[in-house]
Parts: sequence; C-alpha cells; structure tokens
Amino acid sequence: MRRAVTAYRRQIFLLMAVYIGLMWLVWPHVHTATSLPLKVALALVPLVPMSAALWLIVMDVVGGDELQQRVHLIALSIATGVTCAASFMAGVLCAAGVLVLGGDDLMWVLPATALIYAAANWVVGRRYGGLGCS
Amino acid sequence: MKNRLRELRDRHAWSQGDLAEQLEVSRQTVNAIETGKYDPSLPLAFRIAKLFRMNIESIFEPGKE
Repeated sequence: MRRAVTAYRRQIFLLMAVYIGLMWLVWPHVHTATSLPLKVALALVPLVPMSAALWLIVMDVVGGDELQQRVHLIALSIATGVTCAASFMAGVLCAAGVLVLGGDDLMWVLPATALIYAAANWVVGRRYGGLGCS
Repeated sequence: MKNRLRELRDRHAWSQGDLAEQLEVSRQTVNAIETGKYDPSLPLAFRIAKLFRMNIESIFEPGKE
C-alpha cells in the first residue's frame, strides 16, 4: 500500500510539474498568439495535466477505505465551502465596484481549492491518527 | 465506542498491517479504530467479527455518547 502511495505522489508531483512548466512556457504566448484556434489551444493546454491530476485524485478517493473516504469528504467539504464563500465575497465586492477582478483571477480558484483541500486533508487526517493526504 | 481490537490482534500476534491487509483497509484505519478515534461502519464491524469468529457485541461495546 505504501508503494502505491509513493507512486501516486510521484505521479501527482510529475503532473503538477508539467502543469507549472506549461504555465510558465506556454501561457505568455496566449496573449501574443494571433489566430483564435492557436490562442484557444494554448490557453487550454494546461488543462491536460490538471485533468489527469484530478482523475488520479478521484481514483485515489474511490480506491480508499471508508475512513480515507470520510477524511477526503470532510476535507473536500471544507475546501469547497471556503472557496465558494471567498469567491462569492469577491464576486459581490466586484459587482459593488469595490474590487476589480479580471479573468486571470479566476485561474486562482482551482489552485486555492487544491491547497485548502490538502491542508484540510492533513488536519482532518491527524484527528484520526495521522492519515494525512496521500 | 470501546473495542477489543487491539487485544484480539495481540492474541493472534498480528501487526496492524497484517490485520489491515486481512480486512482490506489501511493500517491507519486499524489504528484509528483501536485507539477509539474512529467507529467502523457496520459492514467493516461484521468483517472484523467474522475474522475473529466472534459476535460484534463481544468486540465492540457502546461507550457514553
């Protein structure tokens, strides 16, 4: 089981590295690309490693035992709740003209959810004796 | 909820990993049940009882809720 966790972590880190690399290398060209199809393709390329990582996470949750699934569920509820509340607050402030938000800011919703999820997973896992996030 | 999982596991000289493997759960789950941090679902409680050839109520007893 420990070997599977190590392989899972390695795959997640690899996909995240690919994602960061793509954002670093490809994203700057999105604004300068002249043709629309190229612009769309460049903009959506980072979704490939991100989708693969999400798929791996889903498979990890599905393959977990009942306590692991409970920890994932609690962590996901916390992450979703916090992100929804923060997004709603930002949206309301934006609509009121207090805050100015661009489309680029929406890109932070998923990483923020993932970070809160990882932190919540670790904290909740510790409550049950250190399951942590795999 | 109190349980006798640790005692029963010791009696069989099984490690938490051994028991986890037989119950098809993680070692952390066995640890959480043993330390009373997690109450197993009914199906898992039945699997534990079947493994030790005992009744559920002779392994688990309700604590003060």
